[in-house]
Amino acid sequence: MMASQTQLSQIHRSQNPIDPIYLALAAWIVPGLGHLLQRRWIRAAGFLIAAGGLALVGYALRGEVFTLRSADPFGKLGFIADAGSGSFYFLARFLEPAGADISRAAGEYGTRFIAAAGIVNLLGVVDAYGIAAGRRS
Amino acid sequence: MLRIGHVWQMALFALLVSIAFACVGGQSLSQRIKHAIWSFALFMLIGIGIAWLMYPFSR
Repeated sequence: MMASQTQLSQIHRSQNPIDPIYLALAAWIVPGLGHLLQRRWIRAAGFLIAAGGLALVGYALRGEVFTLRSADPFGKLGFIADAGSGSFYFLARFLEPAGADISRAAGEYGTRFIAAAGIVNLLGVVDAYGIAAGRRS
Repeated sequence: MLRIGHVWQMALFALLVSIAFACVGGQSLSQRIKHAIWSFALFMLIGIGIAWLMYPFSR
């Protein structure tokens, strides 16, 4: 007899006592931490390298970091994407001390790298939550 | 400021995003590696293809 989705969730929760919401929060703050706490070593390393690498290259290219106070709607969408990278967003001031320089093409590309870092990390958050809730293996 | 060419920037972007796609894409390690290689190759091919298509308008 096949186990139902509820039974699978209960088995997963007994193996992993941490609440999926806390794991998702951990995955957002530090890319890969949500997977690390569930002993998914390769995926943890993958998300840390991908999200961290994209953010660091974006800051090295002097990309723009959007804030919640952005004047236009695209700036607000940019904030949502950028904030997805968790600690890398909050450390932007230290990681990009000279500030953004979008007068060059590299700065524009850097802006896309930073946004992609946030989106990739949000993908990791959803994946970590799915594993903890028993919806993904 | 990091100074690398545009193609290298595209390759770096493709590589890092492909790693993330591989993490959610496959079930086993070999499937994930295949997924990453495919994703990287498609990023590069489509990127260079679009660049070729835009070339006549760049002058």
